[in-house]
Amino acid sequence: MLKKSLSYITILAIALTTLLLTGCSNDNSKKITTMATENKKELILAIGSEPDEGFDPTTGWGRYGSPLFQSTLLKRNNDMEIVKDLATEYSVSDDGLVWTVTIRDDVKFSDSTSLTAHDVVFTYQTAQESSSVVDLTVMDRVEALDDYTVQFTLKKPQSTFVNLLVTLGIVPKDSYSSDYGQNPIGSGPFKFVQWDKGQQLIVEANPEYYGAKPYFEKLTFLYLSEETAFAAARAGQVDVAAIVPAFANQQVPGMRLLALESVDNRGIMFPYTMEGNKTEEGHPIGNAVTSDLAIRKAINVAIDREALVEGILNGYGSPAYSVSDKMPWWNPDTVIQDGNLEEAKKILADGQWEDRDGDGIVEKGSLKAEFTLIYSASDNTRQSLAIAVADQLKQIGIKVNVEGKSWDEIKKQMHSNAVVFGWGSHDPLEMYHLYHSKYRGVSWYNTGYYANDLVDKYLDKALTAKDEETANQYWQKAQWDGSTGFSAKGDAPWAWLVNHNHLYLVKENLYMGQQKIQPHGHGWPLTDNIEAWRWEN
Amino acid sequence: MSETKALRITNKVKGLSHLLTINRRKGTLLMIFSALFFFTGIILMSLFIGDERLATNFDAKNLPPSFMNPFGTDWLGRDMFARTMKGLSLSIFIGLIASCASVLVALLLGLTAALMGKVVDSIISWFIDLFLGVPHLVALILISFTLGGGVKGVIIGVAVTHWPSLARVIRAEVMQLRSAEFVLVSRQMGKGPWWIATHHILPHLIPQLLVGFVLLFPHAILHEAAITFLGFGLSPHQPAIGIILSESMKYLATGLWWLAFFPGLCLLIIVRAFDMLGDNLRLLIDPHNAHD
Repeated sequence: MLKKSLSYITILAIALTTLLLTGCSNDNSKKITTMATENKKELILAIGSEPDEGFDPTTGWGRYGSPLFQSTLLKRNNDMEIVKDLATEYSVSDDGLVWTVTIRDDVKFSDSTSLTAHDVVFTYQTAQESSSVVDLTVMDRVEALDDYTVQFTLKKPQSTFVNLLVTLGIVPKDSYSSDYGQNPIGSGPFKFVQWDKGQQLIVEANPEYYGAKPYFEKLTFLYLSEETAFAAARAGQVDVAAIVPAFANQQVPGMRLLALESVDNRGIMFPYTMEGNKTEEGHPIGNAVTSDLAIRKAINVAIDREALVEGILNGYGSPAYSVSDKMPWWNPDTVIQDGNLEEAKKILADGQWEDRDGDGIVEKGSLKAEFTLIYSASDNTRQSLAIAVADQLKQIGIKVNVEGKSWDEIKKQMHSNAVVFGWGSHDPLEMYHLYHSKYRGVSWYNTGYYANDLVDKYLDKALTAKDEETANQYWQKAQWDGSTGFSAKGDAPWAWLVNHNHLYLVKENLYMGQQKIQPHGHGWPLTDNIEAWRWEN
Repeated sequence: MSETKALRITNKVKGLSHLLTINRRKGTLLMIFSALFFFTGIILMSLFIGDERLATNFDAKNLPPSFMNPFGTDWLGRDMFARTMKGLSLSIFIGLIASCASVLVALLLGLTAALMGKVVDSIISWFIDLFLGVPHLVALILISFTLGGGVKGVIIGVAVTHWPSLARVIRAEVMQLRSAEFVLVSRQMGKGPWWIATHHILPHLIPQLLVGFVLLFPHAILHEAAITFLGFGLSPHQPAIGIILSESMKYLATGLWWLAFFPGLCLLIIVRAFDMLGDNLRLLIDPHNAHD
C-alpha cells in the first residue's frame, strides 16, 4: 500500500511541478534584465555537443569548421573563397599531382615552439595513418622541401584535396602524443586550458597567435542539453546559446535571436535498386516501391517544402532541393516546383500507379505504393519531418509507415528502407560520396545503392579537375546536365526536404561579425570568425 | 386524515432515504461499475477517434485547450485528446495482456510449488525470490530490449515480470488449503488429487486470482508508461502515454503545459480507478470481508 501511495505522490508531484515551472517561468524572466556586460573579456557559450574523441585534428576534430586550437594551411572567407592562413603561397603542378605550399616563418605553437614544415608533414602523415574520418587515401607522400616548404604528391589528381588544406589543423611534431586530443597544443587563436568532460571546456587567447588578436581573452564552452541551454539563456547565465526551432519564438530579455543560414540539410534517401540482394553482413538491399522512378519523382514534386519549413522549423530554414544548396558547386537548376499534388498524381498515373481498389493507396499491378520511412528516434526534428511528409504523401495515394529507430538499428535497415538523413558540408567531396556508385553501401554514404554511369563520369571529372572552377562545372552537371543527373529532375534518389537555420540566442550587444553559411554540425563552425567578435555599445 | 397523511409522508421519506442511503455493498458495486464504465469509455473513444485527428496540421499547432481540442494540440498540430485516448487504450491493452499472463503464470507456479513436493517448492520459491530481488524496472528493460523493443517487447516484458508476488500468495493459499479438514476428509473418502484440486482448491483461489488480476493492472500500466518514458520499446511517434509525457518535457520550457498536464492527470486517474476497482472487488468477493 505504501508503495502504491508513493507512486501516486510521485505522479502528483510531477504534475504539480509542471504547473509550477510553467507558471513561474514568465515572472522569472522579467526579473532578469540585461546584465551589465561592461567590458567583460570573457564569454560563456552553450553552442553544441562536445567531441567524444577530443580535439585531435588528425582524427577528425575541426572537419566541420574552425579547429580553434590549431590553424590550417588555407581557409575559406565569408564568401566561401579560399584564402591563405598558415600558407603564404601554394601552387599545383600542371598534371594536378604535386601541390607545393610555402608557410609563414613566424608562427609559434602555444607552447612557444616554432611551427615548421616538419610539423605539417607530421600532421598529414599521422592523419593518413590514423585511418579516421579524415580521408587521405589519395595522398601518395608528403615531404618538407625546406623548413617552410611542403610538397604533397597525390596518387591521382583530386580537386577536393584543397579542402583538406582548409580543414586539417596542424599539430606539433615534438609534443604530439597519444593523449593529444585531451590536451591539444596548436597555433590557433585560442589555447587549451581545461576540459571537464561532459561539463565544460575553458580556453584562453593564445598570446603566440600570428593572426588578428581576438577581443575576448577567455571562452567557456558549456555542454548543455537543448532544454538546459535555453533555460540558462533565460537565466542570463550564458552569452550565446544554441537553441532548437521550438524555442525560437520565445522572447528572452537581453538576448537576440541569431538565425544563420546553413547547408545543414535533411532529406529522405530512397533505396534505388529492386529488392533481393544482401550486403556482406546479410542486411537486405533494395525496395520494390522506392526503386520505381515515378514514385520517387512524385514524392519530390508532392512534398510541400515551404510548409515543412514554416510548420516544423517555425520558419527558420529554407526548402532544400539538393545536398549543397547555395554552395559554389550547386546547380540552381535543381530547384523544382513542389507542393504540386496534381503534377505528382499525373507522374504516378504515367508510371501506371493507379488506385483500382479504392482504398486510397495507388497500386502498380499487385504492388501497393507503401514503404517504411525510418528516422533517428532521438531526433525530434527528423521525427516531425517524417510524420509530416507521411501525411503529405497520403494525399497522392502513397502510404508511408513511419518508424523511429536507433542508429544501430538504422544501419541494418538503411539499404532497404527510406531513411531521413542529414548532410551538408563545405566540401563537394560529400556529393561524390553520396552519389558515386563506388560508394554504394560504404559506411553511411550511398546507402540507397544509387548508380548512374553518366553521373559517375561527371563526378570523376569533377574530382580530378585541376582547378575549382572546372570542378564546379562538373559537380553541377552531375546534378542536372539537361537530361539526367542525381537531382530531383533526374533520377531523384533522394528527396531533400529542408535546410535548417542554426539558431542562437545571443546577448543583445555582442557583435559576432559576418557568418558564413553554416555546415552540418551545430556549434563549432560559429566560432570560425571569433577574432571579429566584440561587445557593441 | 392528517395522521395518515403524515404517516404516508414519513413512509415515503423512509422509502426515499432507503433508496438514497447506499450501503457498503451498493457503494462497492457502484464503484466497480463506474470504473468499468470509465475504461470502456476510453477504449470506445480511442476506437471511434479516427486517425485524421492524429494527422499533422500546421495551422493548428501549439493551441491551448479549447472546446475543439479539450487537451490542446502539440507542435505538429495533432489533437492531444486523441493522442491521450489512444495512448491510454494502448496502456489498458498492455495492462490486460500483462495481467492475464501474470495470473496464469502465478497460478501455475503457485499450484506446482504447493502440490509437487519439497524440491519443486524450494526451486520455485527461489525463483520467486530472485524475481522479487531484481529491481522491477531493470528486469523489464532488459527483457524488452533483448526482444528487440517495439510493442511486442514491451508487452512480453511487462507480462513476464509481474507474477512473483501473486504466485507467492497462491502458493501460501494452496498450502493452507491442502491441510484443511475438508480436504483431508475428502481424501480419506477416496477422491483423487485432480478432483480435490478442481472441486476444493480452485474455487477458493478464484477470488484471489480475480483481485490479483485487477491489482496487477495499475502496476503494469505504470511500468509500461515508465519504460516508454525512458525510450525503450515503442517508436517515439506512437501514441503511448509514457512517450507523450517524455516528449512534453521538451516543451515545458516554452509554456506548453497542457502537453504534460492532461495526459499525466489521465494516467493518474486511470491507475487510481483500477486500484479502487481492485479494492472494492476484494471487499465484495473475499469470504472474510464479504458480509461486512
